[in-house]
Amino acid sequence: MDIRFDAADLDRVASRRQDASAFLRKWLMSLSVLALMVATLNLLVDPYVVFGTPRLPGISLFKPATKNHAMLAKTFQVDRAHPHTVLIGSSPVHIGVDAAASVWPASMRPVYNFGIPGAYETSTSLQTLQEAVTTGGVADAIVFLDFQNFFSPENPDPVLQEAARRFRFRPDGTPNPDSRQQRATDMVLALETMGALIDSLTTIALQRQSTVLDLAPNGSGTEADFIGAARDDGMHDLFAQKDSFEAKRLDKLAPIMAGWHGTLPDMDAVASIIAFARTHGIKLTLVIAPHHVDALELYWRAGLWPRVEQLKAELAAMVAAQGGAVTLWDFLDYSSFNTEPVPTAGDRRTPTSWFWEPTHFKKQLGEVMIQRMFGTDAPKFGTQLTPDNVAQRNAQVRADRQAVVCDRRGVMLTALDNPPTDRCAGTRTAHAPT
Amino acid sequence: MLFNSYSFIFGLFPAVLAGFCLLGTYRREWALLWLTAASLFFYAWWRPVNVLLIAPSILINYGLCRFLEHTIERQPARARAALTGGIIFNLCFLGYFKYLTFGTQTLNDLFGTGFILTQIVLPLGISFITFQKIALLVDVHAGRVGRFTLREYALFVLFFPQLIAGPIVHFREMMPQFRAASCRFDAENAAVGLSLFFFGLAKKLILADPLGTMVAPLYDHAAAGLPQSMADAWIAALGFTLQIYFDFSGYCDMALGLARCFGIKLPVNFNSPLKARSIIDFWSRWHVTLTRFLTAYIYMPMSLSAMRRRMAAGKPALGGRDRNASAFITLLAMPTIVTMLISGLWHGAGYTFVLWGLLHGTLLCINHAWRLLRPSLWRNTAIYNRRAAPAAFLLTFVSVVFAMVLFRAPSVSAAIVLWKGMIGAYGAALPQAVLSRLGPIGSGLVALGVHPAWTSGSFLLMAASRIAILLVIALALPNTLELLAAYEPALGVKPARAPGRLLRLASWHPNETWAFGLACIALAGMLSLGGLHEFLYWQF
Repeated sequence: MDIRFDAADLDRVASRRQDASAFLRKWLMSLSVLALMVATLNLLVDPYVVFGTPRLPGISLFKPATKNHAMLAKTFQVDRAHPHTVLIGSSPVHIGVDAAASVWPASMRPVYNFGIPGAYETSTSLQTLQEAVTTGGVADAIVFLDFQNFFSPENPDPVLQEAARRFRFRPDGTPNPDSRQQRATDMVLALETMGALIDSLTTIALQRQSTVLDLAPNGSGTEADFIGAARDDGMHDLFAQKDSFEAKRLDKLAPIMAGWHGTLPDMDAVASIIAFARTHGIKLTLVIAPHHVDALELYWRAGLWPRVEQLKAELAAMVAAQGGAVTLWDFLDYSSFNTEPVPTAGDRRTPTSWFWEPTHFKKQLGEVMIQRMFGTDAPKFGTQLTPDNVAQRNAQVRADRQAVVCDRRGVMLTALDNPPTDRCAGTRTAHAPT
Repeated sequence: MLFNSYSFIFGLFPAVLAGFCLLGTYRREWALLWLTAASLFFYAWWRPVNVLLIAPSILINYGLCRFLEHTIERQPARARAALTGGIIFNLCFLGYFKYLTFGTQTLNDLFGTGFILTQIVLPLGISFITFQKIALLVDVHAGRVGRFTLREYALFVLFFPQLIAGPIVHFREMMPQFRAASCRFDAENAAVGLSLFFFGLAKKLILADPLGTMVAPLYDHAAAGLPQSMADAWIAALGFTLQIYFDFSGYCDMALGLARCFGIKLPVNFNSPLKARSIIDFWSRWHVTLTRFLTAYIYMPMSLSAMRRRMAAGKPALGGRDRNASAFITLLAMPTIVTMLISGLWHGAGYTFVLWGLLHGTLLCINHAWRLLRPSLWRNTAIYNRRAAPAAFLLTFVSVVFAMVLFRAPSVSAAIVLWKGMIGAYGAALPQAVLSRLGPIGSGLVALGVHPAWTSGSFLLMAASRIAILLVIALALPNTLELLAAYEPALGVKPARAPGRLLRLASWHPNETWAFGLACIALAGMLSLGGLHEFLYWQF
């Protein structure tokens, strides 16, 4: 075969090669400049508060992107906070307990809120407490316990899985050799990932909105999501949606919880928290967090109330064994705080005072609890539990519940479709705050 | 090692390309040897022990090829026996790793036996490699391939851009290219190759992967037997269809691009299948090289054999005016069903894949039957093509989406739950938040029987908008092959004779606009490689 090229063909080939070479040079240059710009923007906006870049009004004052990256953000943030007191728990703590509240005694400040939204295992609380203590200077720890967390599903808490490599210590207290590398990786990812870029741009875009979700430097989350949802859908829908979610969750958990024999699972995690606090000289307060009556009614219906009472009794016994070094507060009861009526469907104006929905209390109630535990002149809400008063407390709560379901069933959504059949004779109304 | 990993993009690939070009300036053989060694390293990365499995298989198959070359003319019976033995060997090799567990499970299900197998780990890309080796044995036996060395054979099997998931290539379309490759850096090949690669990376990571997270809980619910609302079931079906669409499309682009950087053009494997107007058309666009393989090596031999038997018996063939049901069933329907059953099994060892294959086989038969019957029912083909096109597209699309549920569902029962949801057997429900925002329309929907549900309205809106955007990309925009047609991105691809306005405007050329555009696409893809994968807490 005779193949011949004329000069025009050769020129065309050379020209195409030149075009392609120029294309590759310009592409590489554009890519480098763009990558640098992305890193600079992410460093400046710092959407996950990983770098601690100063917050700029109009650009990065509020940090809405921390909503889905709370564990990452708080692990880096707590190092900079140098707290005296740490709050440990899940989303109710993150949203409902303000670390900057004026009711905190001066001796306990600065307070850092290490509540992690989405955490559903008690062992997560142990690890976050360990992590907080590595910052040095933590003298007080307030650990909020959630009844349902004592029956977490078999699979490990995804929040904890994600953070396990980042924490400085493993659950058994030994140093984590992967921590430094993971934190370096976190920083690179916070600079050069699509998620970080989108979150930076979203952060800037949301700065001018009237209600923006934020993570304060003390770890407290804002209630912006709830405020927005209440404005758009009304409080009734917030309660109804969460009731539906909780009912489904309890459907799965109830068979495990109802038929449980012996000490509740996860009590060893509480024991580890107590032991860790004692070893490090930390004053520990355990708190059984309050729920709205709607959520409590779901526990009753699922036949779980005996387990709630068992939890209180076992915790009281465990705490008593520490000889006064640990305090246990129980807010899981019936009072005017958690029996306020839920606004009717379609009502988007009437607010509630104490709860956003059945399991998330408002900051106002968080302040009442702080006052009750550490202050004076507090309303009579919740009780400090001991082995001596736990039986009486459980009986009182049962009686209060009877009063609520008989006299004030209209306050709860869960009672509307399936009224309780308990006998109502001789009941009394839940006590009001004083 | 995956194409969409830091270690590949910033480590192996640049190193292999640099070594290839550098060695190519000295000796081509060294460059090709380097490429083979790098491909073996790429293969071993995931599980080094796999090399011990694939290496003997390569040697045995090469030996068989040589034996066939020597015996095909002098001892055809021995050659035929060797070919049969070779095919059986390769199928057993594949069968052991891929189908033994499924076979045992089926046996247990059918006969109530209790055989237990320990988990067998599937070697990477074994389905693709096996088909390529079988095709080569058949081609050597048929005299369609000339002589080749062991090094050439190893490169053909191991060439890493097509090793994991295709395309399934023919020796006769690859080896001439390897033999003619300059093995030096070529700026145009690099520009075209990198463009294809980063288009694919962006498709995979930005378009496909987020859909996986979106649909996973819906399939989990279905697997648990929980009823699915109509909206959720359609999100699950459409979401997965688009996920696999962009995932495979992205992979194919990446494979084409990587090969092109070494001066090799791979065949077309994916060509906007969702734009198909019939199931036959769909299979000429989706996994094209698999369809080609199955047609050439399974369907055609079966059909031709049946044809010979019918002709020997004096029965009419299929075609012309002598159409009859028995000819259709024997010559077309049966081979099609069997071929698609094998296609289903090839895709995965499980009942859902078997059913998926049978379903597509049935759809193909219906399509073929319609093609045969339609001219007598609707005589004017031009008007038919014009008027029936939208309905044909819609019917094909819905059929493909329905069938795709089987591809993703963890069990047949889960697929049935989703199908029932799609046809509204569990009722239609929309989140209360969405219904209340719709105002009078929401009230109208409730009056029509749509139930309010306390599910997340934001999920529904996010899913619906994402699906809508991706459908526009898949159905309305030109694909990568069309964009780069002027530079033959895949074997045999030529520019359209009458490109549309959009295609004329968007066609890829090595100019400044595309340099910047590709930089944005590449950066978006690379930024999506890593992520702060944390638990998403979005519900109230």
